[in-house]
Formats: sequence, C-alpha cells, structure tokens
Amino acid sequence: MAAATEQPAGSPLKWLAWGTIAAIDLILLYGVTLMYAQGETAFALVIVLLVCSGTWVFISGRGYNYRYVYPALLGVTTFIVFPLIYTINVAFTNYSSNNLLPLERVKEILLSKTYRVEGESYPFMVFQSKDQYRVVFTPTPKNYLVSEPFTEAAEPGLLPAKLQSDIPKGKELAFRETIKLRQLLKTQDIKLPSGLQLSMTSLRKFGPMLDIYRDTGSNILEDVRNGNKLIPDFSVGHFREVPPDYNGDLSQRETVGPGFVVYSGWDNFTRVITDPGIQGPFLQIFIWTIIFSLLSVVFTLIIGLLMACLVQWEPLKGNGVYRLLLILPYAVPAFISILIFRGLFNQNFGEINTLLNMLFGVQPEWFSNEFLAKTMVVIVNTWLGYPYMMILCIGLLKSIPGDLYEASAIDGATPWQNLTKITVPLIIKPLIPLLIASFAFNFNNLVLIALLTGGGPNIIGATVPAGATDILVSYTFRMAFGQYGQDYGLASAIATFIFLIVGTIAWVNLRVTKRMVE
Amino acid sequence: MMVQSRNLASRVWTARIFMILFLCLIMFPFLMIISVSFRSGNFATGSLIPDTPSLEHWYLAFGLPWEDADGIITEPPFPVMLWLWNSIKVAFMSTCIILLLSTTGAYAFARLKFKFKEHMLTAMMILQMFPAVLALVAIYSLFDKLGNYVPWLGLDHLGAVTVAYLGGLALHIWLIKGYFETIDNSLEEAAFIDGATPWQAFRYVLLPLSVPILAVVFILAFIGTVAEYPVASVLLQSMDNLTLAVGSRQYLNPQNYLWGDFAAAAVLSGLPISVIFLFCQRWIVGGLTAGGVKG
Amino acid sequence: MAEVKLINVSKSYDQGATWVLKNIDLNIADGEFAAFIGPSGCGKSTLLRMICGLEEISSGELFIGEETVNDWPPNERGVGMVFQSYALYPHMTVAENMGFGLRLAKADKATIHNRVQEAAGILQLEPLLERKPKAMSGGQRQRVAIGRSIVQQPRVFLFDEPLSNLDVALRVQMRQELSRLHRKLKTTSIYVTHDQVEAMTLADQIVVLSPLQEGSNSNLEQVGKPLELYHRPANLFVAGFIGSPKMNFFDGTIETSGEEVSSVKLGSGETIQVHVNTASASKGDPVVLGVRPQDALTEVNDGNSVTGKVAALERLGAEAYIYMQHDCIREHFTVRVEDCQRKEEGSTINIGFPAELCHLFNAQGLAFERTRVPKFD
Repeated sequence: MAAATEQPAGSPLKWLAWGTIAAIDLILLYGVTLMYAQGETAFALVIVLLVCSGTWVFISGRGYNYRYVYPALLGVTTFIVFPLIYTINVAFTNYSSNNLLPLERVKEILLSKTYRVEGESYPFMVFQSKDQYRVVFTPTPKNYLVSEPFTEAAEPGLLPAKLQSDIPKGKELAFRETIKLRQLLKTQDIKLPSGLQLSMTSLRKFGPMLDIYRDTGSNILEDVRNGNKLIPDFSVGHFREVPPDYNGDLSQRETVGPGFVVYSGWDNFTRVITDPGIQGPFLQIFIWTIIFSLLSVVFTLIIGLLMACLVQWEPLKGNGVYRLLLILPYAVPAFISILIFRGLFNQNFGEINTLLNMLFGVQPEWFSNEFLAKTMVVIVNTWLGYPYMMILCIGLLKSIPGDLYEASAIDGATPWQNLTKITVPLIIKPLIPLLIASFAFNFNNLVLIALLTGGGPNIIGATVPAGATDILVSYTFRMAFGQYGQDYGLASAIATFIFLIVGTIAWVNLRVTKRMVE
Repeated sequence: MMVQSRNLASRVWTARIFMILFLCLIMFPFLMIISVSFRSGNFATGSLIPDTPSLEHWYLAFGLPWEDADGIITEPPFPVMLWLWNSIKVAFMSTCIILLLSTTGAYAFARLKFKFKEHMLTAMMILQMFPAVLALVAIYSLFDKLGNYVPWLGLDHLGAVTVAYLGGLALHIWLIKGYFETIDNSLEEAAFIDGATPWQAFRYVLLPLSVPILAVVFILAFIGTVAEYPVASVLLQSMDNLTLAVGSRQYLNPQNYLWGDFAAAAVLSGLPISVIFLFCQRWIVGGLTAGGVKG
Repeated sequence: MAEVKLINVSKSYDQGATWVLKNIDLNIADGEFAAFIGPSGCGKSTLLRMICGLEEISSGELFIGEETVNDWPPNERGVGMVFQSYALYPHMTVAENMGFGLRLAKADKATIHNRVQEAAGILQLEPLLERKPKAMSGGQRQRVAIGRSIVQQPRVFLFDEPLSNLDVALRVQMRQELSRLHRKLKTTSIYVTHDQVEAMTLADQIVVLSPLQEGSNSNLEQVGKPLELYHRPANLFVAGFIGSPKMNFFDGTIETSGEEVSSVKLGSGETIQVHVNTASASKGDPVVLGVRPQDALTEVNDGNSVTGKVAALERLGAEAYIYMQHDCIREHFTVRVEDCQRKEEGSTINIGFPAELCHLFNAQGLAFERTRVPKFD
C-alpha cells in the first residue's frame, strides 16, 4: 500500500512495542554472550544476525511489510533450511557414536582423568545431617577439613573442602553405615584447600590423586607417568599413544579414549559406493524405494479414482454415507492404523492369519518373508492413501461439466468408455503435480516403515543394519538412531543423496505447476 | 432426469455390491480392533464378537488397575492418558503458533509488496517438499545445543517438539494465501479509507472473512502434529514425556506383546481425532481439493 | 468541502518502465461534480485511486483543499470512496459497515449512532440497518456503500464506476439519486465511468482521458462541460469518444481556407463546405472531416453532399441507422434517420453535410474552431 500508516510516535502502544523488542533483544544478546563464552561462535553469530534483522524489521518503517513474513521465514529457516545445510555438513564428517565430541571436549575428558598416587592417606569420617552427608578429615586435632554436603542422589563430582575448627553439624556415622555408603563415596572426590585431590582408596581412607595427562600445547598430551605422548590423528579422529621419542607411522599405534569429530572429506560417500556391505543394500533399498513409491501412487490413484466415480454416480443411493465410510482410513491418525495392521498381520496371533488359516489353511510369514513383507507394506499403504486420492478426484470430477456425459450418452458410450475417454483425460492434467507430490511423500514415508516392519526382514551381509522393506529414509533413520552404533556421518551422506532426489522432484513439480498455470 | 438405459438397474446393483464388499474390506481393521479391545488377555484369538467380553483392556487404557477373576491385579503398562495429554498439548501449542505465523505470512504474500517476494514464495514451494524426516540428525543436535541455553527447548522436553513442528509452515502459507487471494482486495482498500492501518485491515476485515480456511488449516495442522512420529521419536526419550504416536509403539514389542491393551488404547485415542475429522470433513475436503496438499 | 487540484501528476510502474498517466493538470472546484471518462486502459481508475491515496503518485502534486496531500494516507485526506464492487464488509451489518471508520477513529457510541442514522436517513436506509450485505439487492448495497462514505463526512467523494454492476433500469434510477444527493450535500465529487451517458447527465465537468500513446506528452485529452465536449471536441479522440453512435470521419485536404468558411476536398473528389476557422492552414493540407450520424441529412438540395452505397439498415422503430460505404472511410459511415424514410440495401444515395454542423481536424488530430456552433448552454 502506498500509505502504510504507522502508529503515531509517542502513543503508549508504540512504547509497549519498543519495550518488548528491547527486552527480547536483551535476553537474546545475553544468550549470545553465553554462547560466545562457550565457544559456539557460529551459533552466536547466527543469533546476532537474527537479532539485528528482527529489530530492524520491527522498528523501521521501511521494514513494515516484512513484519508479517519475518516470523514465518524464521521458523522455516531454523527448522528446515538450517537442518538441511547442517546435515550436508555432517555428511562430510565422521560424526558417530564413536566420534561424538569436538576435539576440545575430548581433550578436557582426557585431561580430567586421574590416577592414584602412593603416599599420604587420610582416614575419614562421614557426618550426616538430614539427608545430607559430609566427608570430614582431621589432619590435626581440633582442625576439621569438611567437604561440601552431598546427597544420595549426587552425581559423580569434585567436592571442595574447608578447614574449620568446630565439629561439623550432624551425627557421625558408624563404620558399618559408612560401608553402606561406599558406592556413593567412591564417586565423590574431595578437593583440599591446598589443591590436592583425594578419592576413596580403601574403606577407611581417602588418598591423593593426580592428573594422568599434561597439556603440552598444540593438542599433544603427555602421560606424566611414563612420558608417552597422545597425538591426535586427524585422519581418523582419535588420539594415539606413542612412546616419548617416536617418529614412526602414527596410524600403527593404539587409539586412546573417545574419538573426536573431524572432517573426513568424501569418505562417507566413497563408503556408500565401495563398501560391499553398504553398496549392495543401498542399491537394493534405493530400487525398492522407487518401486514402493510408484506402486503406492498407482494403486491409491486407481482405487481412489474408482471410488470417486462410484461416489459421484447419482443412481447409487446413499453416496454421502459411502463417502464418509470411505474417508475413514484418512480420518484415523496413520500411526494408529499402521500399528493396528502390525498387530493384524502378526504371524501367530494376527487376525488376518487366523482368517486365512480358517479359509485356506495357510499362515503366511508376513514379517520374515521378503516378498510377503513388501506386499504387506504396499497393501497397508494403499489402504492408508486411497482416501486422499479419492478426495482429490471428487473435487476434480465436480469440475467436469455434466453435459459431456450427456453428449456421450447420446453417442452410446459405455461407462468404461466414459471413464477412459472423458474422465481420465480431463482430470489427469491437474492431477499430475499432486501425483508428483504424493510420490515425494511416499518416498519419505518413514512412519509407515518404522512402525509397520521397522525395515525387516534384515538383509544378510549388510555392514550397517538394513532391511528388505527399508526405504532410503528409514535406512538413514536406523543408521542414525538405531540400536547398533549410530553413524550420523554416513546417515547424513545418504540423506544428502535423498535431498538431491527430492530437490529434483520438487523442481520438476514446480515446472509442471508453472506450465499448468500458463 | 434422462431416460434410463435398460441395464442401469443391474449396473447399480453391481456397483452397490462391489461398494459394500470394498467397505467390508476397509472396515475390517477397525471392527477387529474394537473387538480385540473387549477380549480378555493379550493373545486370545476369537470371533468378531468376543465370546467372553471383558473390560480389562479399557481399564488399563484409562490408567486404572484391573483385577481379574482370580484376584490377580494388573497395573496399566503405559501412561496412555498422559501420552494423549502430551500429544494434545504439543499439537495445540504448535498448531496455534503455526496458524498465527502462517496467517500473517500468507497475508504479506497475498497483499503486501516487498522485495524478493516471488523468490521467497518459490523457496517455500520447494522447501515444503523437504520433510523434517530428512534432517533428523541436524534437528537432534540443534535441540541438543539449544537445551544448553534454554532448558525447556532441550532434548526430552515437549517444548522442543512443539517448536520443531514450526518447520511445517510453508505448506499452510500456500493454502491460506490461495484463500486470501479469492477475497476482494477493495474490501481492505475500503478499510484503509475508513482509517485502518494495514494491521487493522487484516485484523478486522480479512481475518473474520477467512475463518473457514483457518479452521481447515487448524484441523489439518493439529491432526498432522498429533500423528507425527519421526521428530518426536528422536527428541523424546523418557516414558512420561512421550507423545501418543511414539508411545503406542511400545505395545507391540516382540518381547512384550500387548495386543489387547493396544487395541483399547488405540480406540480410545484414535476415536476423538477421527470424529473431529469426520465432523469437519466437508471443509477439509474443500480445503484439500483447493490446495491439493496432504496434511 | 474542498477543491481538488492536480499539477503535472504522473504515474509509472517499475521505476518508470511503464507509464500509465502523464502530466495530468486538473482543477476541480469546491462543490463541483467531475467525471473521469475514457476507454478501458486509459488510467482513469488509477487516477482516482491516486487521489484517494491507494496508489502512489509517481510525480507531480496533488492538492486537496489548501494542502499538498501526496504523502498522506487515505483516511487523513478526507476522502470517501465508493467501489465498483461496493466493497461492503460481508461480516458486518449495514450499521456496522457504515460506522466502521468512526469505530476505528475511536468515536463514542452515541456519535457513531447519530452519524449512521443521519446518513441512513439521507439514503432511506433505515429499515436495512441491521441486515448483512448478503441479504440485500445490488441497488441497496450501492446505497450502503455511499452511506458508508457519507458517515465519514469527507471533503471529497470518489466514485469508481459505481453503477456498472447494476442492471439498466436500476442504473437510471441510481443515477438520478446520485444527482439529487450531490445537489443536497454539495460535496466535491469525482466520478469514474466508461459510460458517457452517466458522465453527461451527472457531471458539471468532464475529464476525457485516453490510453497513453508511445511518445505522447500527456493523456489528458480535454476538460469541459458536457455539452461543450459534444459540440466543441478539442481533438479527434474526444470527437470520436463523445457521442453515440460514433462520429464519422472522412479523409480529405483543404481546398480553400478562411476565417469563417472553408472548403474541403475529399479523397473521392467531392468538395464540402464547412463553417470552421482554418486561417492557420493552407490549401492542400491533409485534414479529417467529422460529421455526427445525427447531423447528416438524407434529403439534400444544396449539393454539400457525398454519394454512397447503402451497406446495411438497422430499423429500431423510432429511428433507423443507415450504414453507408464510401471510398474515403475504412468501414462504414453511419447516418441516423427517422424510421419512415425507407431505403433499399444496395441502392446509392446522396448524404448531405450541413456546413455549420461539420467538424474539421488537422493532421495532428486537433480541431479547427467551429464558427457557427448552435447555442447549447
């Protein structure tokens, strides 16, 4: 609009708006400082950018029109665009359950490792007041080193102790009761005012502890006990232990501690292509994904169109009731229907097999036979998906002028001819983008596979778990969040491959839709 | 009415019989699950109408302990009602936010002029094809990190799931924008002449006229989020925080197969949503055919 | 109450890539009823929307009353607008529709009620106040739309083709109602229409706009009182646009020029005498001769005539139109006659052009001054 009116300056509403914006900005900027302090520079930068653009949009008059889209764009960017980019990024790393943390954090973990040293040991007492315990040492009479209190639910930790001259509050526990607490006490280390760390070495005593590793700079750690060095091997994302003056091949040495995340280049992608335990299942799954999506689209379309024609056919009385019942599978949340089918198809207790056994005396192995499992997946997905196609077809059928059928009736057309010569040609064009969208939907139909078969039956010889009914998304899902080792990097590499396919489908769809509009 | 051809009657009968057979096939799972929910025990097989009906599974589904004839007390295996409540909380909150953001966004795209509008629209069109399923790893670590700063947005919090669903905006923006464009622009111009700000024109004129589409989007988004499985299954972990979609899966573990309990829980939780959907199906069907999208 | 003044107002889209209006200079006096008329695509509605504040003014100045209002939002300009589609808020009753502007301005309930009642009284809308727009006829909706702008007590009323959605009978009735309303309220009004009958009957002043030609300096063709435009069209465009059926145009050259009388030689050889001042032209200059169908005569005795073949006849009872073929005219030329004068298709007849009723235009399309215009005021 030419003349977008503003709230007049100085009105209370305007002040309220400015106040709110300022408050939000302050909170976010506080968060940014926190993040920056913790080394999350990229995160902090992104938020600073959001704060600035958001403030401009909501304060500047020129940004007025953007106020309406900004929050929506923010949502889409944060939860679709950013994750897509991040996933592609992860695809080039070795991020997995073995290599979970950044180098700095792994270093911190190693540096916090301690060992017990021989030497002075300290007898201890435990004082209890209510549900709190304190460890108390008496280095000299009348002097008490008292630890901070801890409860039975305490996490493993380091408790500072203070020197005081009074007996701490609470009652001293008898030795028998102290023994009962030994599992808890073992997790609690005590830090003396001198900086010495103590941990429980026997049932009666605490002894001193020392750090195993010393940071010698440039990410190399030294074992203070024997002078061995830990050198990070960036090609695999692990520290390796070498003797003090070792100049040989690093890759031959033992790895130590948890791995860290490094960029591994195209490793994940080459694994997909070259590792026979991945390549074979990947190809098989890829082909099945396409077959599954195609079959789902074709079957749902055929049944949906047929039902739409029947429901729209006037002589068939009770169309409204039929339509209502036919839509039912779409009305019930998919996860419930899928689980119902999972139960119904159960080999031993399932009602479907009971029925088949009664009628034909067979009990097919729906979940362990590859072909039957695939058949079941397609049957269930058709059942789930045809109402949507029917709804779309009903809408499109309504737009066909009735006199076309009157004209064809005069020409003596059969219902079959009506369908193939009039109905289908007229609705196929507006249907195509919807069919493409449906294909894309089924391509990524994780819910169905995850809840119905979980991907099974398993493909034998696969390095990472893969199943005969797995589609690409459920394959990556299992890879990233399955029970056997989580390989985020590899999963992201395959996800990147899916992006390319989905992107292509989206682009084709856009072109088709554009052409239809023109 | 035209003069009917002679074989019409036989065609109608064929169609009717076919339709009834097909409906039997379609309804079979529903009838079966209702029947199973009234059977006693989790492994019993039987006919469609249970021989010895029992309310055992229904007690458990409602979270009440069940005492059978032998005096053995079974505790409810899972907090179904809590899951249902979690699902409703998450779905309601995220749907409200989605509705708010997509309505204002759609208004801007339909009516206001600004730079990069066409590009943004195309981007939205393409992005709506990328479901969150594809980037679960990223979403997982995004919320893992967010949780360090904002605890209620961390892993295993319902807040995280609520916020994660906001990515589904793009699709609804298109649907609402299409509807806005059918409303005469001069209504808002008249409001401007009456002294309305763009916000007032939106609030007092456009919004009241768009209630039908907003209702459709609300229902579609609500049902969509209630039924969402992948994101919730990755972000939520502890038993008490699960949504229904994630929790229901626990019933059919091969190690702990609770078919009868599941049946009652499924009917109990599926019924309200299905009834709402069927009640509003006229508008939903209209919205779907107009927008051509899957909720 | 205010006058509206436009100085060199122009409108372009895409930073000057396409121009819709150029250099519009207008002065609409306080209390005057002005009509913008022109074929579709001439920018008349755009011009109205610029005055209203719904479209930006690319260059030039717009005065309403004393102030330049170029950058004022619509509601501050003190204008009321009646849209072609009425633009009544469908979810509000008539009373709510009419009071919406006051409600936004946070007027108290009593004021809103009084002003709505007053406007409803003027337009006889009282019985409809609690109805929703859906439950009303087109004419009633139109009256509500007018009522909505009356309530705002604007300085200027703007009408954007308000009658084009009504059927013919209702249009005549509403036209008269609008005319009566204007006499009563005496508010400056601007009325956009493509129907010249509406413009001629309602307006004190008519503004004729043409679609902007490539390279043209302005698309404001003529401003004047209704009959002035009819009798003294300033150029070919106005001459062709005002008057129904359309004026007939013949190509020719000046035979003799003069201050009182001139003669034109048509391409087909006939020489026609016309009462226009062609002192500025000389012999042989190409000109266009214009004769309105009503002014051409079928009974000829003074030889100021052309000969043509009757191509078609349309008999409407009270009158009849003869469509003639002539070498100097591309399609047909039209002659309006009394119905009783029957002619045969295909016959050749003489058509006389009374010298004092002819129009003459130079090669640029500008009119030569007529010297014996019948009195029309």
